[in-house]
Amino acid sequence: MTLVKDFRFWLLAAALGLALIAAAGPTRVARQPLYRLVFVVDITRSMNTEDYQSDGQPVSRLEFVKQTLRRQLLALPCQSQVGLGVFTERRSVVLFEPIEVCAGFAEIDAAIAALDWRMAWAADSRIASGLASTLEAFKNSRDSLVFFSDGQEAPPPNPRYQPDLTVFKGQVKGLIVGVGGDQAAPIPKFDANGKRLGFYRPEDVPHRSTFGESDLNPEKIEGYDARNAPFGSRAVSGDEHLSRLHEDYLRKLAGDSGLRYQRLTDTGSLGVALQDSGFAEPGQAETGIAWQFAGLAVLALAALYWRN
Amino acid sequence: MNLAVEQPWLLAGLLFCALPLLRYGQRVAGHPALDLIPADGLSLAVDAAIRLLGALALAGLVLGMAGIYRTEQQVERIGHGAHIVLLLDRSNSMDQTFAGTAAETGGAESKAAAARRLLSQFVERREHDLIGVAAYSTSPLFVTPLTENKQAVAAAIAATARPALAYTNVSKGLALALSYFDQRPAVGARIVLLVSDGAAVIDPDSEAKLRELFQRQQVRLYWVFLRTANSPGLFDQPSDPRDDNAQAMPERYLHLFFSSLHIPYQAYQAEDPGAMRQAIEDINRLEQQPLHYFERIPKQDLAPLCYRSAALLLLLLIAVKACEAKC
Repeated sequence: MTLVKDFRFWLLAAALGLALIAAAGPTRVARQPLYRLVFVVDITRSMNTEDYQSDGQPVSRLEFVKQTLRRQLLALPCQSQVGLGVFTERRSVVLFEPIEVCAGFAEIDAAIAALDWRMAWAADSRIASGLASTLEAFKNSRDSLVFFSDGQEAPPPNPRYQPDLTVFKGQVKGLIVGVGGDQAAPIPKFDANGKRLGFYRPEDVPHRSTFGESDLNPEKIEGYDARNAPFGSRAVSGDEHLSRLHEDYLRKLAGDSGLRYQRLTDTGSLGVALQDSGFAEPGQAETGIAWQFAGLAVLALAALYWRN
Repeated sequence: MNLAVEQPWLLAGLLFCALPLLRYGQRVAGHPALDLIPADGLSLAVDAAIRLLGALALAGLVLGMAGIYRTEQQVERIGHGAHIVLLLDRSNSMDQTFAGTAAETGGAESKAAAARRLLSQFVERREHDLIGVAAYSTSPLFVTPLTENKQAVAAAIAATARPALAYTNVSKGLALALSYFDQRPAVGARIVLLVSDGAAVIDPDSEAKLRELFQRQQVRLYWVFLRTANSPGLFDQPSDPRDDNAQAMPERYLHLFFSSLHIPYQAYQAEDPGAMRQAIEDINRLEQQPLHYFERIPKQDLAPLCYRSAALLLLLLIAVKACEAKC
């Protein structure tokens, strides 16, 4: 039969076969890194310090963290899940458990946008205790913890009363993200309605912890009295009304608790840290490969018409 | 109908469609006698149709490759539903057990656990509602916005399983919950479902503000009060008139405040999970007002349709091929 001898018939038949395969919607299972992250953001007042720049405008640390998170949200592959929490005082609260990022983008984005220092239920900033309680909650969990903080405790930590973070070593996958600049910057002060009242002054903040006993040798403390003045009689002044990133402190906390540490320098640095951290679980994503068959069909037809 | 493609650059492949229009793609029979036949309309039409078949088949394949899809559509429907804000108390006391003994669970289920379980079921059953979640302790916590995403709501409810926070400041929580309705069209019922186990004194400033907000937002308020053992209930009268003040009996006074708002308000004093279930079923039954809502029709992948059409056209071309004159 001449039909069978004609190469044009075979090209048409091939194109038909390929188009039928493409119509069936073939897929290939591809490996894809999937994340299950819970972002816990420090919302204490030092996070209002404006020592980041965005579009040439100074922005607060909290605002910069929010921008970073929104950008990171877009970069995560679908089927990854993201939860959100806030830290203040000496504990953190998880607002919602991880939600799938593609279907829940609008919800997560709105929740990130709503993060505000006024969500804080108390004004202390005990980062080590907060981290300990957060790690306790995440013990043996599938979720990876990403903890944003500037490391400024208020009042300043007393080494005698630090929680032991080493017990969590190896139990929590996590990353501490250091937020803030190296230069001490003034902390904006707001009233209860969010109106700005200038900056914190030295007399507004405690410059040392006066809880319990001092970590210093009593003989070295001026005016020491075991019962009435365990921290001495002298008023201390310091620069706790200014804020900078306490990187060494955060590194130490991260080292003790077996978390990684990364400094937030630009909105992209979080993504790099997440990629390096090994938080990704091997996931599978089905990708359609119908287009490859359709492409071959196009080539077959093109060849058919080209050869005249 | 709005169409869009995933890979616009692949549309350049549509240039291939010109090929069948410019070239035959058929066996050319070069018989001199053919030149004698005058051009007739039918032959031209058949020729054009065959070329068109090829061009369309190519177009189908290329459009499929480019990933053509119909964009997400919104269809206005009328159904039964509401805008609901769940306002959840995150204070410590929610971790205690109910006042009445819960028969079916042996009384061991904490209030928060029971609330969580029943709320999750409630959310699942409310198909067309937009549900938002807010929480409060000393300060209000924005959790998730009003959304159709039931998974997000479930995740927010699940998070209340984690350890709770310090104290209760219900007025700030209410103000936050009411703010969810800002810039929302006033369609369907607007509901604030407050789930708490305690109350707090509302200071006069916030009281005035809340009154105004409740009036303006036209919300219905449901308060599911999970009573703890040995704590006063909503409807208890003080045994000693000296105790009849907001400081001593905040629950009673909060209830009186809500009752005085001139809005539809219903309080449920849940002493065990059964009563709480009753409350939620009531809401489920009562809040079935007609509601205009927009149903989202997710984006529709049209590539398989393109491939199928292309295959059909190719089949026709093969049929044409079989009819080819042999010489």
